[in-house]
Amino acid sequence: MKRREFIQSLVASSALAMTISPSVALAEEVKPKKKGPNDMDYQTALDTITNKKEAKDSDKIKLTVPEIAENGAVVPVKVKVDHPMEETNYVKAIHILNTKNGNARCADVNLTPINGKGYFSTRVKLGGTQEIVALVELSDGSFIKTAKSVKVTIGGCG
Amino acid sequence: MSKNRKSMIKIKPKKFKVGDIVKVNFIVIHPMDTGLTKDKATRKIKPAHYIDSVTFSFDGKPFTTMKSWETVSTNPYYSVNFKVSSKGKITVDYTDNQGEKNSKSKKVKPKG
Repeated sequence: MKRREFIQSLVASSALAMTISPSVALAEEVKPKKKGPNDMDYQTALDTITNKKEAKDSDKIKLTVPEIAENGAVVPVKVKVDHPMEETNYVKAIHILNTKNGNARCADVNLTPINGKGYFSTRVKLGGTQEIVALVELSDGSFIKTAKSVKVTIGGCG
Repeated sequence: MSKNRKSMIKIKPKKFKVGDIVKVNFIVIHPMDTGLTKDKATRKIKPAHYIDSVTFSFDGKPFTTMKSWETVSTNPYYSVNFKVSSKGKITVDYTDNQGEKNSKSKKVKPKG
């Protein structure tokens, strides 16, 4: 074989390999993500609850979560709203959301003036380090929210 | 379809008067499966099984309704406040996504 031909064939084969290999590697890397029955990301969940109204950040809401959660399967969440509970002016609903789980919604609680105080507490699962958002709807239709981040060392969402 | 599940209502503090605001804690033993985990024995994915609605009512009048999702922990715990107005009974009804319906009730006895 002549030298020129040999080099040409070498270059051609290597170029072919270059074109094929990245696509093969990509196909191997991308795995189908696990999907739960009612998955929804954070932004769409927020939009469906608020009906695309603006939710203002407010310091009226006291959100108590641990800074570092050792076990992501049990993260205690406590929400207190500093707002009067009268017949016409009360806390209508408290929503607890997360930012990175498959399903961004945790609990939607509808309150009435009989509750006496805007308070709710529960325990949630978190799949990784993320933020917990407390979204509060007041009786006049406005929304307020606060967020706090939680570090999770072992995820708890299967 | 209904199944006997262990559940508990606790009112805190134990002693209260008319007009006080008390905490009503509700705990139920429930697996709360997300539909993502595998059963180690059978190697099949467990179907989602979680409580999706909870209603707190006092003497038949609901005062708190709640929607919850599979992101709430196993053996869930819900706590709300309640303003005591008179003697009566608090009832908690809960249903899950596989159609189980259950309820639990506790008497409210204010002193003074």
